[in-house]
Amino acid sequence: MDITGVNRNEIYRYLGAKGGVSPDETMRAFTEDVLRELSGKVRPGHVSLVVPLTVTPEDRIDMTCMQIRSKSLFRNLRGCDEALLFAATLGDGADFLIRRYEKTDMARAAVCQAASAAMIEAYCDEINDAWKKEYKEKGCFLRPRFSCGYGDFPLTCQKRFLEVLQADKRLGIRLTEGLLMVPTKSVTAVIGIGSLQQHEKDTGR
Amino acid sequence: MSILRQLQDKGLIFDGGMGSLLQAKGLRAGELPEVWNITRPEVLREIHAEYLAAGCDVVTANTFGANPFKYASPSFDGGPAGKEEDRYTLQEVVGAALSHARFAVSQAGHGYVALDLGPTGRLLQPMGDLAFEDCVDAYARVVREGAGAGADLILIETMSDLYELKAALLAAKENCDLPVMATVAFDASGKLLTGGTVRSVVALLEGLRADALGLNCGLGPADMLPIAKELIAYASVPVIIQPNAGLPRVENGRTVYDLPPSDFAREMKDVIAAGARGIGGCCGTTPAHIAAMCEVLCQMPQQPGLTDVSDTAAGGGTGILQGNRHKTHTLVTGFADATEISEDPVIIGERINPTGKKRFQQALKERDMSFILQEGLAQQEAGAHILDVNVGIPGVDEASLLAGVVQELQSVTELPLQLDTSDPAALAAAMRIYNGKPLINSVNGKQASMDAVFPLVQKYGGVVVCLTLDERGIPETAEGRVRIARHIVEEAAKYGIEKKDLLIDTLCMTISSGEKGAIVTLEALRRIREELGVKTVLGVSNISFGLPAREIVNGVFFAMALEDGLNAAIMNPSSAEMKKAYHAFRALKGYDAHCADYIEKYQSPPRKADEGNQAQPGKADSSDTAAGGATGLFTAIRKGVKDKAVEEAAHALATRDALTVIHEEMMPALDEVGRAFEKGTLFLPQLIMSAEAAKAAFDVIRNAMGEGDGGSKKKGKIVLATVKGDIHDIGKNIVKVLLENYNYDVIDLGKDVSPEQVLEAVQKEKAPLVGLSALMTTTVPAMEETIRLLHEKAPGVKVMVGGAVMTAEYAAQIGADHYAKDAMGAVACAQECT
Repeated sequence: MDITGVNRNEIYRYLGAKGGVSPDETMRAFTEDVLRELSGKVRPGHVSLVVPLTVTPEDRIDMTCMQIRSKSLFRNLRGCDEALLFAATLGDGADFLIRRYEKTDMARAAVCQAASAAMIEAYCDEINDAWKKEYKEKGCFLRPRFSCGYGDFPLTCQKRFLEVLQADKRLGIRLTEGLLMVPTKSVTAVIGIGSLQQHEKDTGR
Repeated sequence: MSILRQLQDKGLIFDGGMGSLLQAKGLRAGELPEVWNITRPEVLREIHAEYLAAGCDVVTANTFGANPFKYASPSFDGGPAGKEEDRYTLQEVVGAALSHARFAVSQAGHGYVALDLGPTGRLLQPMGDLAFEDCVDAYARVVREGAGAGADLILIETMSDLYELKAALLAAKENCDLPVMATVAFDASGKLLTGGTVRSVVALLEGLRADALGLNCGLGPADMLPIAKELIAYASVPVIIQPNAGLPRVENGRTVYDLPPSDFAREMKDVIAAGARGIGGCCGTTPAHIAAMCEVLCQMPQQPGLTDVSDTAAGGGTGILQGNRHKTHTLVTGFADATEISEDPVIIGERINPTGKKRFQQALKERDMSFILQEGLAQQEAGAHILDVNVGIPGVDEASLLAGVVQELQSVTELPLQLDTSDPAALAAAMRIYNGKPLINSVNGKQASMDAVFPLVQKYGGVVVCLTLDERGIPETAEGRVRIARHIVEEAAKYGIEKKDLLIDTLCMTISSGEKGAIVTLEALRRIREELGVKTVLGVSNISFGLPAREIVNGVFFAMALEDGLNAAIMNPSSAEMKKAYHAFRALKGYDAHCADYIEKYQSPPRKADEGNQAQPGKADSSDTAAGGATGLFTAIRKGVKDKAVEEAAHALATRDALTVIHEEMMPALDEVGRAFEKGTLFLPQLIMSAEAAKAAFDVIRNAMGEGDGGSKKKGKIVLATVKGDIHDIGKNIVKVLLENYNYDVIDLGKDVSPEQVLEAVQKEKAPLVGLSALMTTTVPAMEETIRLLHEKAPGVKVMVGGAVMTAEYAAQIGADHYAKDAMGAVACAQECT
């Protein structure tokens, strides 16, 4: 995976940087080295599905394959008539490296953890940006990613979400009994799709 | 004709997609397909009938996702409830699925019925939270239902994890007598999602005695072809290929596969020509695809049947689908890839062994896994290809210890392991839990040894080190050792264990007690290679026992043995002389392309071995040594330079007493580091490294003072755990490192820990403080429950909590005594409470 787009400041923030403190040269080199090692181990992948969307009062969201009741998701999807369901993962390579370094080099494990968290974000952003462009050309806008567990969008939806996307078969993402995703560096999200024209009408702009 | 006979002699036609057909008939995305076995029986019967009419020999019952995690089992789970899918039991969906397939077969008058086993949907430990035996048990229930309902064979398919594949195959073999076939889903790069490769899949499945193996799903026929060819090149059992109808495409919110039947059939022609013995389809393929494929098959010239060149015969016959020849690759695997033992020799690291090592014995008794794992990883770093694992010390339960160490090692290294024990119970436990196909150390020519070891290899698979000794001891002549080797090979054959799965050890006897020792060993080695055609292994360094400067003899003897055809050496991978012989030999024999490895190892000045270590603060940086004396230790700890801290601690103790050193240098350094971390000017890794440097310095001081002296004593006990349901534990592990380095006695219970386990540890250890971690909101109730139980049953015990989801308010709300916002916060809390 290309690591140039990974947000370094995000990594430093995970590692305790506050108020824009920059790392010293060794810390910076350390982080870059871990990113290089990770980039050889991860196997990023994603799947997606566009579904029709009906949002009705009482915060009910119908995506044909999933019905959800959530105030916060309702707010997020207002004005959208389709939704992009999305799952992405770095694969099990990042988890393996973290596990290994936890036994031998805890400082490196901590950097691995922070760097791989930033990597999955960067990977998701990269895909999203491409979609944004694609949909803009079609006269549509995309809402920000919204994941199970945000606000009152229940984590219990994760199971259905992964089934609908066949994320197990196609990406190897599975759930633990406690509904956590493994590999742990995985993301699922709903992205609302709306028409720009309609949006301008609604907002009077 | 039995189904296996037909597979070998004529080949078998399998059916195509099921899920995609059900979707076309109205199954909604995310709806459990097996429910239709009960609600829409006519659809299932019709699909099976269409496949049989298209020319299928095998129809696959609709049980892909039928497992106890998805369908209730009244006797286990308290009965049906709630959601639609929960209304039906496992027994009902499996029974119905088989009855529809059986009905279709009886109507058609031909065909076999396969019980379909897909992935469980859960991930096994250590990646996920499903225990191996629970996984075996889940599959076993499905197998018993399916076999009881009339399946003709078990088809395990779309597997992407070697470990789950092993669990399914074991369950099938242990719970029925039906033929078992298994296919896996590779991505275009030829890897499973958990890293498995063609070679490791073949090694694992043939080791476990699958009757056939192959590929399904993931790719269309054209993309699958190169992987199919590689598989056929390694597999000795018949190969089954069931591709998708091309690559998936999303259309109107649906995943579609649109390779038309004629193109599918045309592409399958190459797959057939490559040597597939069972063919069919997967996602997106329909009865029309199978019919088109059968038509193409009929037009192809007759191929010779499964001709076998080896000693284990398997059929002759002729058919259109040709057989693949017997293979002789010696393969062992870790959890991902395989290592081949061939003419290009491999190194088996011997250091995980307590013999003569006090520290190691102590680590085993205390189950200090960290120490053992580091020994393993250090050998991997030094160039070992396989790690020998010996944990035999008196007074321990070797079976549970060996199995435990094997699991821990496989969670941090991808290298294959060599299970080294003389205890058959320990060997059985470790072979069962092993993720892959292991090396076994060892069997010998004694009947009792062969009677104990070979049945295990027959069941679980493995490559076995065979010592050329028997009831009469070690023969002094090469002739005697060859005779024992021959006997072992013959005895192994009775269990169906082939020569490729044996490594003969002709035993190194030290030349200090008999000058012909090396000559006899090497002559036996040569003769075994030539006369028996079996590969060899030696514990090389035994040759010099009792001599001075053993390295010199070891290096030269190793070179001699390699020239005589040694395939594997059990040795210390850090031994400089032996490594020289090894790398020079590989370069001279042409195994080292462009001498690249040799040049990298020995060019002068050596290249930086690992840039990572160079870049890591605290490891390479020794520039800051100026201070010395009064501030040397302070600086070393503040900078997190461990080696320097050790050196400076010893230096400081020469002039000052321990308490002064602790209070004037170490504590101020740790305090400064802690403050800088609080401010955010110093980062977490630096905090950890400083703490580790302090720990190393403490150890020096403790040793100098002796136990029981003030100031260096452990401060107090703290039990740490990540609560039930949570598997993210790096935060808790960082807290552990810091607390230990602040000299607390930490009892780490790990992750996914139940309230009862925490209580038990607190009562047993009489710990005054417990630290609980939770990452997700969903696991906070488990944290609350743990706190409640502790306060009720162990009054007086304080509980601190932390983790991504925690806040001070939240902590108070669930009854915690303290909230630690980060690792330093936990230290502050410990200082207050103990």
